[in-house]
Amino acid sequence: MTLSRKCVPFTPFERELAKSTIAIVTAGGVHLRNQEPFNIADELGDLSFRIIPPDVDSSQLMVTHHHYDHADADEDINVLFPVDVLRDLEAEGFIGGVARKHVGYMGYTMQLKAMYEGTAPEIANEIDRGSRADAVVLTGG
Amino acid sequence: MKGIPTVLITVSPEVSAQMRPPRALYPKGFKVGNSVGRPGMRELQRTVLRDALGLLLENTRPGEVVTREYRDYGEQYAPPRVRDGK
Repeated sequence: MTLSRKCVPFTPFERELAKSTIAIVTAGGVHLRNQEPFNIADELGDLSFRIIPPDVDSSQLMVTHHHYDHADADEDINVLFPVDVLRDLEAEGFIGGVARKHVGYMGYTMQLKAMYEGTAPEIANEIDRGSRADAVVLTGG
Repeated sequence: MKGIPTVLITVSPEVSAQMRPPRALYPKGFKVGNSVGRPGMRELQRTVLRDALGLLLENTRPGEVVTREYRDYGEQYAPPRVRDGK
């Protein structure tokens, strides 16, 4: 196994969870039913991402991804994009709230450099600007 | 940009460890596509998400994946492996 030689981008967390707003970023190909699906026909992968609003009805979310079996997510999107679960944790006071922006992208690409230098910082910028997220939960493979 | 604290929930711990994530939880034996549990298992989903968020407060070692077991999940699956030859 080869470890990444890049330094670990560790950002300290110096807040209380009960006062913190949490965002979800998933590589699982999650998007709104009325958003453009990811392009699974492109063998190089789709470098785009979709912004998911905080008040989303989870039944309006779906998965476009052809590199894993997403039948379980089709049945309950929370297994991969736990937005209703976050709401539960907010209701019980474990976290402060659900962030204003969440992100879905298709975590498969042959264009690693473009993903690392383009898509990833663009997603980070989206979270940084206007999501009010104090921390991010990442899900994927 | 000063950075955003993250915690990864991975079901491919060996693959994820290669990228040395700042904080990561592997719910042992969960299959790909089941990051926080199976469909409809809301209590388990809450437990896994609480544990993942809890890593933000723990003195974890950046770059390492923390493994936890969840008996309620039921049948376990072998995670994807990194291909040999590297």
